[in-house]
Parts: sequence; structure tokens; C-alpha cells
Amino acid sequence: MIVQLRNPRRELVLEGTRRVNALLDELGLNREAHLVICNGTLITGDVVIDADATVEIRPVISGGS
Amino acid sequence: MKCRVCKDTAVVDLPRHHAAFCAAHLEQLCRRQVTKAIEDFSMITPQERVLVAVSGGKDSLALWDILIELGYQAEGLYIGLGIGEYSDASAEHTRRFATDRSLTLHEVSLRDTYGYDVPTAAAATRRVPCSSCGLSKRHLFNTEAMARGFDIVATGHNLDDEAAVLFGNTLRWDLDYLARQVPVLPARPGFPRRIKPLIRLTERETAAWCIVRGIDYLVEECPMAQGNRHLGYKNALNEVEATSPGTKASFYLGFLERMAPELADRHSEAQEHLGSCSSCGAPTTGEVCAFCRLVSTASAHDPVPVELVRRPRRKRRR
Repeated sequence: MIVQLRNPRRELVLEGTRRVNALLDELGLNREAHLVICNGTLITGDVVIDADATVEIRPVISGGS
Repeated sequence: MKCRVCKDTAVVDLPRHHAAFCAAHLEQLCRRQVTKAIEDFSMITPQERVLVAVSGGKDSLALWDILIELGYQAEGLYIGLGIGEYSDASAEHTRRFATDRSLTLHEVSLRDTYGYDVPTAAAATRRVPCSSCGLSKRHLFNTEAMARGFDIVATGHNLDDEAAVLFGNTLRWDLDYLARQVPVLPARPGFPRRIKPLIRLTERETAAWCIVRGIDYLVEECPMAQGNRHLGYKNALNEVEATSPGTKASFYLGFLERMAPELADRHSEAQEHLGSCSSCGAPTTGEVCAFCRLVSTASAHDPVPVELVRRPRRKRRR
């Protein structure tokens, strides 16, 4: 699968399928600080991402106060 | 996962609610949370005009969208901060949002109107960029709202923002700041009412609102905010939230319910000692307000490109 990350923009290529939450854990990303989008739609932590899918992991934390 | 309400396929799981929601019921949840905040703290009446401070990011655009959805008279104010390509992109997102929805957007440019921008102000004052940025925005939101006849300024501060600020203020036991950390600051001479209707929504929820509503917001972080203390507090709270869902909400909303009333007198006393700025007339504790002092210092400095004052990026795990 292709995983698109932000801040800065970059891509990872991973072999095989993953559950969303397992993918976030594997990348060391906090679930409370990210949303995952597949084909333009938000997906929940239990969804299994296909091996040939492209997903965006979008950070939701902004820095202003 | 299935939506808690309709059992359709969920698009977002929210551990603090022990539930997942489809797009339609996520929208319903967000509208209800904002309505509750507005009602609990008497933020807006239907007759009042609201100026929404917009930046092109998820929180401010979600706030503007929700207030319009709820039927309030809300217009936007965008302040051009002059932070290079980041500001160019944030202006584009904001203008597109307003144009697509036929909403009224007001704009002020720091460089064009006051002769400085945030990178230059940071270099001129030798302070972190967030300091002059926050000072400029707070002053201009107030003065522009007063000048344009708005009753209220609404900002997109969310539950994560407020919990992080509370965390910092508590670590320092800064009672004056703690006393001011309320979701409504009443109107008084020189100030419109200031409100924070998103205090019951997390950043993850406002971002999800934008995605399901098709709002094209600016995802990139401000290059000058990277590595700031506020982000560190948010990360620390999210580590706790990951193992104890609901901690951020109980921390901040519990403060509002049980601690803020104890500090109310301290807040009132601080407000009684304000005079007027001899330069612009804005309320201040000194002879000249902090904004006018900033304008004087920063506008006299040669323009500084954003790259020269950018914070170093922290290493990421991957």
C-alpha cells in the first residue's frame, strides 16, 4: 500500500494489508492526533486497508494558541 | 465499526464517546456540542452579529460553517500575517471557502496596513514569532470588530487548544492566566464579546467535520509554530488521552465547572485597571498599548524573509 503523510509531505510504500490502528501504531503515530482517509472517505481504526490501496494519514494537531 | 445512532458504516471512531459515527451523525454530534457550548455560556443571541476570526485552517473554517448552519449572522475576518507561502496558501483557502458559500470575508494585511509582517516582527523584537502573531491577531480582531459594528468575535479555539493552555498555566500556577481562561470574555469599553464555541470539540472532531463537509482547509502547519511549547503540551495530553479517553474533556470542562468560578473575582479585579492607549485608544494597562509598541518597533525594521526566523524542525520517528 501507499501511505501519504503530511508535515512534511512524503510517501511510504508498505507490503501487505494492515488495520488502520495497527498502521498508526507501526508508524508511531498517536490515534488521537490523526485521521485516515481512503478514496476520499474517512475510515475507522478497525478497517483493513487493502495491499494495493493508497491512504492518507492526516495530522489534526495545529500549533496556534 | 457501525454508527452508534443508525448502525450504518461509521467513518470516525471517537473513543472519548465510546462510539463511532457515520458522516451524518458526526455532523449532528458536532452541531449539538457547539449548540451546548453556546447555550451553556450564553455566547450569542440570534440578533447579534458575529465576526469569525478565520485563518484557512480546519478550526476556523469549521466554526464559520457551523455558525452559519445554526443560523447565526456570521462574517469572516482574515488577517494577512506575511508568513511567506504559508500565508499565501491560507488566504487562498479562506477566500475559496467564502466565495463558494457566498459569505462575506473581510481582510487586513499587516504589511500593507501596519508596515510589518510576523517574521519581521519576530526578528525586530527578538521574541518567538507566535508572540507577535498572537498579539497582532488579538488586537486586530477586537479593533476590526468594533470598527465594523460587530457585537462578538468568535475564535476557533477547540478542546485541545484550551486543554493545552490550561495544562501550561497549571504547570506554572499562573493564576491570572487561569482566571482569564474562560470561553466567554464579556464586552466592555473597547472590546467586543469574545467567544470560543468549539470548546467541546477536539481537533480530531473539527478536522473530521471539515472532511465530511467537503471543506478544503489548509492542512500544513504554520512553519513558525513548529516545535513550540503549546504543541508539546498537546502531544503530552494526547499520550494520556490514548490510554484514558476523555481525559482532555474532563480536565478542561471540569476546570470550567469547578475551578473557574473560584477565580472569577481575580479576573474582574484585573479588568478594572485598564486605561486607554495614547496612540490608538485601545484598552491597555500602560500609556501605549503593546500592539502600538510592536508596530513602532517592527515597521522600522527591514523586512525579514520567513526562512531566516523559522524554527528548526524536530526529528520525527519516521
